[in-house]
Amino acid sequence: MTLTMLIAPFVVLNVVIGMVTYVTLLERKFAARMQSRIGPYRVGPHGLLQPIADALKLMMKEDIVPTAADRSIYNLAPIVFLLPCMLIFATIPFAPGLGVADLNIGILFFLAVSAMEIVGLFMAGWGSNNKYALLSAMRAVNQIISYDLPFIFSALVPVLLAGSLRLSDIAAAQGGGYWFIFYPVIGQLAFLFFIISTLAAENRVPFDILEAESELVAGFRVEYSGMKFALIQLGEYAHVIGSSYLGALLFLGAWGGPGPEWLGPIWFTLKAVVLFLLVTWVRWSFVRIRVDQILALSWKVLMPATLLLLVATGMVVVWRIAP
Amino acid sequence: MTGEAVAFYALSAMLVVSALAVVLSKNLFHAVLWLALALTGTAGIFLLLDAEFLAAVQLLLYAGGVVTIVVFAIVVTERLVGETITQTNRRIAGGALVCGALLWLLITTVLERPLATERPIMPDDLTKAIGESVLTRFVLPFELLAVLMLAALLGAIYFARPEE
Repeated sequence: MTLTMLIAPFVVLNVVIGMVTYVTLLERKFAARMQSRIGPYRVGPHGLLQPIADALKLMMKEDIVPTAADRSIYNLAPIVFLLPCMLIFATIPFAPGLGVADLNIGILFFLAVSAMEIVGLFMAGWGSNNKYALLSAMRAVNQIISYDLPFIFSALVPVLLAGSLRLSDIAAAQGGGYWFIFYPVIGQLAFLFFIISTLAAENRVPFDILEAESELVAGFRVEYSGMKFALIQLGEYAHVIGSSYLGALLFLGAWGGPGPEWLGPIWFTLKAVVLFLLVTWVRWSFVRIRVDQILALSWKVLMPATLLLLVATGMVVVWRIAP
Repeated sequence: MTGEAVAFYALSAMLVVSALAVVLSKNLFHAVLWLALALTGTAGIFLLLDAEFLAAVQLLLYAGGVVTIVVFAIVVTERLVGETITQTNRRIAGGALVCGALLWLLITTVLERPLATERPIMPDDLTKAIGESVLTRFVLPFELLAVLMLAALLGAIYFARPEE
């Protein structure tokens, strides 16, 4: 019992880190193909060793701490940022009974922990003592306050449909191909809102005002170098992958798919990767929108829409139970 | 000592230290971060007491939300970069006195009653039980809270609207 308790997190953490490094390559290749380029090609066959070369380069880089930085906060920030991004994988069941912890409040845990990410982000922005970094952190706080609620509301729709907060129950409720994305009207709308607010929660294009290369250089991580930069980057991609898994679990039937049961985790991962590619597709197709447009979209469109959708879902569920 | 006791004392030590650091640290931003740690530690204590739902809500609302808002308040009210924002603790002695009195009151009240050593029997799915009792037995306070929040929201909108 205790041994598996130690081994499971170890395995999951390493698999996630491995996935994150290779997902960066996938994104670069995908983006390159979209722009009629080849992408990384020189390191290893078809550039397959590129992520390892990147990691080695980052490990060997000099670690620079700005003189005027708030030293303790600056040094702690990457760790505080990475921690919640990794913790979200704790509740995800990769197959029936295969996960670190199948909590009865699974989705709530996921939402609560991923909301903690902002603390590390703000520490990085503030501790760097850099105007770009601080502006970026300010924007991040703004954006996360605005998009937390639509994110939670749209994730609650599958919870209502399945009648459980436990992630494995939500997945099991979609068994036999009744994925929640196929639920008439409600499913598609909830999925759309979920994707939009996930994009915002992950600070990806078109909601990347806090990174905004053209105005804020690289935002809150502009002063970071070497391994600390790598940790922040790792956290960001882990968050994206974690949200993709959550989306695949909530709407795409998690481990459900044709073939024998042991293919479950592979189907699940494939669905998560498809969601990740969807996000990447958006990233390389759209332009960044302005701060006021982002806030208006959240408060004037997504908030009322997701709330109404939640009420509608509640009605459907009540009528379904007592016709 | 059982693992639970070790976890409890470790969490309590963390809580006390971080709570003291909140009021004693000179840098307002550090104080906010200590507050985040203290609130996370409270969530840990809830988790030890088998109150998973409460722990998650504690993280979601307090540690995530309140810290966000406090950070916002600091940045909006104080000057942005370069200034070290100090917080003044001129009344440490008085504060310590009040806290000590409160602690004494709490300890004496707790020690007056025999402490439960057995685990009380709890429903299997505590979260479900909470949900049911909130919407049946405690539905009136729950709805009143919703009205209160609506009033607060409307008030915030009233103050935030541009001057005529």
